[in-house]
Amino acid sequence: MVNADDLLLEQWRSLLDHRILDLRVMGMERLATTWALFQALLVEAMPFLLIGVALSSLARWISPGGQWVRDLPAHPLLGPLSGAALGFALPACECGNVPMARHLLVKGAPIATALGFLFAAPVLNPIVLASTWAAFPDQPWLLAARPLGAVLIAVALATLLRLLPDSQLLQPALLEERRLSQPLGELTLLERRSGLIGAPVSAAASAVVRSGRRPPLGQVLSHGGTEFLELALLLVMGCAIAALVQTLVPRQWLIAVGGAPTLSILSLMLLSLVVSVCSSVDAFLALGFAAQVTPGAVLAFLLLGPVMDLKLVGLFSILLRPRAILLTAGAASLVVLLIGQWVNLILL
Amino acid sequence: MGQPDPALSSRPQRSQTLRRLAPGPLKALALGLWGIALLQSYLSERLDLLLRAVFHPLVWASGLLLLVLAAVELSGRWRDGSRTSGRWTSLLSIGAALAVLALPPRPSFAYLAANRQANLLEEPGLSFVLPPAQRSLTDWVRLLRSEPDPRLYAGDPVRISGFVLPIEGEEPHLARLLVRCCLVDAVPVGLPVRWPPDQPRPRTDQWLRLEGVMVTETIGGRQRSAVKASRVVPIPRPRQPLEP
Repeated sequence: MVNADDLLLEQWRSLLDHRILDLRVMGMERLATTWALFQALLVEAMPFLLIGVALSSLARWISPGGQWVRDLPAHPLLGPLSGAALGFALPACECGNVPMARHLLVKGAPIATALGFLFAAPVLNPIVLASTWAAFPDQPWLLAARPLGAVLIAVALATLLRLLPDSQLLQPALLEERRLSQPLGELTLLERRSGLIGAPVSAAASAVVRSGRRPPLGQVLSHGGTEFLELALLLVMGCAIAALVQTLVPRQWLIAVGGAPTLSILSLMLLSLVVSVCSSVDAFLALGFAAQVTPGAVLAFLLLGPVMDLKLVGLFSILLRPRAILLTAGAASLVVLLIGQWVNLILL
Repeated sequence: MGQPDPALSSRPQRSQTLRRLAPGPLKALALGLWGIALLQSYLSERLDLLLRAVFHPLVWASGLLLLVLAAVELSGRWRDGSRTSGRWTSLLSIGAALAVLALPPRPSFAYLAANRQANLLEEPGLSFVLPPAQRSLTDWVRLLRSEPDPRLYAGDPVRISGFVLPIEGEEPHLARLLVRCCLVDAVPVGLPVRWPPDQPRPRTDQWLRLEGVMVTETIGGRQRSAVKASRVVPIPRPRQPLEP
């Protein structure tokens, strides 16, 4: 026992020695490369974020009252499933998904349904499935396993997160806006007070929400602009963290353990958290190391990235409270690890 | 209710100046600057360093759309009444966009490559083999991976270009970066080079064009192909340095 602990400690010490030394001599090259990686991530993700904002604005313009959103099933299983199926109608990758999920929640969609959409739609959409097929035309099992796994994760996460009370799950600002679109009868007196009087959300807005009148296009665009700026800032933070981690941690560490079943899954899960590329292109990235790692590891990479990565943590913070984000990360990793193990058991 | 905003009451002086900046124009400026940053990175060919060409239209279209949003905001006719947009959000966005505009990406390819494992991406399009003198560095590496016997290529003429990648315990290689999506997923491919003895050692990250012949060399008891360079010419970084 002592040996194992000592070994671990020794490894960490040597690791720290190297890293700290490297940090001190964080030379110009490293700094310049980190900046370039940051820009690459940002420039790649920003159009997708804008597509997501455009889709949620469009939904707001077409159906200002958002009645259809409240009619989505609230059933614990059917809810997440129908949310996941919405991905086919709203093709966006994971960054574009966040504004749309926010729109659903604000308009009063059942929470499990909105969460199902948030977690599964980045995979269950035509663009992502097409790119997965383009990257792995000779692996039909992957084309079935990726969407199936995504649905499984979404249902598991939605079920788990529903155990938290709303106030611990959703950001307070989002919760307040959400209350505006719920019928008064469904709220307790306490909620009415905090939702309608204390909040800076204007009475005009609630009037629009209630009347269901179509707002002028310019107003929808202006709202979209606000939403974009808020999310862009979070995206900047996420990309900065992801770029820093990528230059500080050598890539070899992450995929050096390709052959071992469990380790290869864990290392590719870690890689998907760090790399933070959009779900619409991650299949091509996975192709790069598919030959060296176990099939379960490739699937784990393709499943975890769309649900959780460093870049997303910032974006999620506009929807979920920190505790819920941590819970999401932990639970998603566990489910993905189990799926990966199971696939390796069958295919190896 | 008239509750004082805690952010305003705690820092009275600074927020006074901040309050004078109207939120509308600030927001328009932030949106416009992001739009300009995206358009500029397309026009100045920075994008060639960051993203594969397939994704470029997405970037400039987004830039244009953001400019439209900025114009809508500037016209001031459609204030967004439903959400309070913070001045800080706009100010921080303006700062970030200005930084992106002012500081162009200058990645060190050698540094990036040293941090990555050299995986070769299969290119389904490559079904025939070009004559030796027309093969690019990437073509050569792909060929050597699929048919590694070095004796097949000994004496073949080589004309390739790439950047200088230092390798631990060896002479520097000449390398290229392969990219599927953006710089983040770049993987290096390289060829060992026997540099001309009468010339100074090449500088890391320098782009070079090499002419020479393929030779076989033995490293650690294993034979491999290497390029014996007869002519080394420094070149500027190519317009599209990332290869699919």
